[in-house]
Amino acid sequence: MIFRKISGGLSLFFFTITCFSQTENMVRRDTVSSDLQTSYNSSLIYPGIRVGIEFPVYFVCVKKNFDSEVPKIISKGRFISMNAGWYHQTNFHDNLYFTAEWTMRRTKENGFFTEFSSGFGCSRTFLGATTYETDNTGGVDIIKSAGYKYAMIIVGGGLGYDFSKKKEIPLSIFYKFEMTGMFPYNSTLYFRPAMELGIIYKPINFIPFLIKTRVKTK
Amino acid sequence: MKYFINSFIAISLLFTSCQKEKITIGTGVSESFYVVNNGASMRVLVEGNTSSSEFILCVHGGPGTSAYFYNTDYIKHNLGDKYALVFWDERNAGASQGNSNGKNLTLIQMTDDLKKVIQVLKYRYGQSSEIFLLGYSFGGLLTSSFMTTDDNQIMVDGWIFADGSQNYPLNDSLTRQMLLTYGQQQIALNKNQAKWKEIVSWCNLHTGNFSFDESSQLEDYAEAAETYFDEVTKVDYLKLFGSDAIKDNWPLTSILVNYLYSSAAEINKDIAKVEFSSLLYKVSVPVLILFGQYDFVCPKGLGDDLFNKISTTDKKIVISPISGHDIMLQDEVLFCNEINEFVRIHRLIPI
Repeated sequence: MIFRKISGGLSLFFFTITCFSQTENMVRRDTVSSDLQTSYNSSLIYPGIRVGIEFPVYFVCVKKNFDSEVPKIISKGRFISMNAGWYHQTNFHDNLYFTAEWTMRRTKENGFFTEFSSGFGCSRTFLGATTYETDNTGGVDIIKSAGYKYAMIIVGGGLGYDFSKKKEIPLSIFYKFEMTGMFPYNSTLYFRPAMELGIIYKPINFIPFLIKTRVKTK
Repeated sequence: MKYFINSFIAISLLFTSCQKEKITIGTGVSESFYVVNNGASMRVLVEGNTSSSEFILCVHGGPGTSAYFYNTDYIKHNLGDKYALVFWDERNAGASQGNSNGKNLTLIQMTDDLKKVIQVLKYRYGQSSEIFLLGYSFGGLLTSSFMTTDDNQIMVDGWIFADGSQNYPLNDSLTRQMLLTYGQQQIALNKNQAKWKEIVSWCNLHTGNFSFDESSQLEDYAEAAETYFDEVTKVDYLKLFGSDAIKDNWPLTSILVNYLYSSAAEINKDIAKVEFSSLLYKVSVPVLILFGQYDFVCPKGLGDDLFNKISTTDKKIVISPISGHDIMLQDEVLFCNEINEFVRIHRLIPI
């Protein structure tokens, strides 16, 4: 009974908000520089690095007034990033990989942001020790650069801080948890969870793109 | 462009440096290599005393578990101090890698893999190296296949058979019989009555010619049964392997996905009907058979079958009164003492 009353009240509240709030949309075109990204990533104790370029696709800038004197501004950026990475796992393999990712980043006025990314790619592993092959006569040969090529999928999410929002420092730092999948790995899917700590550098005019920024005022 | 080329060369050199051949003859050795065969790159870890020229090659269970689990501190210190221990991850297991190779996961292919691992061991450490095969659980079936195929057994100097199975249909019958016998005793003694009653009634309903599902159910009951006895050493697997996982660089997710794949693979149905009892007469090398008194998964009756059917007169069977299916962990003292003595007696190279 109480649940029905509460849910009824909430429905009325959202209906009122939807009907009476005014939303203004404005679209402008800006030239925006691409960002450079580098990070250290680690799965437990195994080290890795990643470098990449993220190209801006579009931005949505949401201004929320809510009758307050200082409106809240949230920036939602969408990027496509191209990355190259490597990790080392002792006695197992080294992996060199390339990925293309779609990143959604939501940055608050104060500079804190959250992001989610997903993508795909390819990788080449190098086995972590000398690799031998024998022939039918019992002869043994060493295989140079032994390893495998895999298709990759990658998803991750994390948070960070954009220094350019409050001060004019063109840097962001971020922490991300990522899950990488490689296949076909022994006819199944190999996955590697990793934690990533990195920085994003925002040069002033590095591979600029003319992109749409939609400004929404609520 | 020049910078890019230089970076690429530097990175390539970095990767290939990990694959540089490293062969150590000495004590306290720990080194890995891979053996490639028909779509799989199988990791082999060599630990201990390679200067002894005696290599105990561990063939793990499964299919799909890993040789990493044998590499305990106790075994390292009590066998590895005198001999070299070889931990081979079979295809689609442990740290072994490959692409789409599931169709090659067969007993015949794995028998060939084992042969190639021995060839590479002899290539690395010398043709006069002595190899002692140690087959555990499914590794018992795999080593049985190896020992009875062609003239493979001339490559080894001894065969250690620990809680293994050379005959899966016989294994099922013996497991059922053991569950019934012990179950009825335990019910009479009023110990774990509810659990044993369920097992006994299931065994009374399923009398033989077991389907794959019935074999799997028997194995589940067998794994549980040994835990109902106070006499059996309890092993804290998490504690035992927890520290090793970091120290020995276990590729945890690889071990997991390989296990999940292999334990559900078609090979399990194929080997359910396989037996080597009828071919054991071919075996003429010295054999040491180790079984746990409370091993319901591979009952000691399999050891009797092996003992009676091999041709060699140089054979010994030892039963541990305090272990179930993991003799190397549940009675590590007996396990290491017996293997030490077996290798010491049968080594051809004088100390």
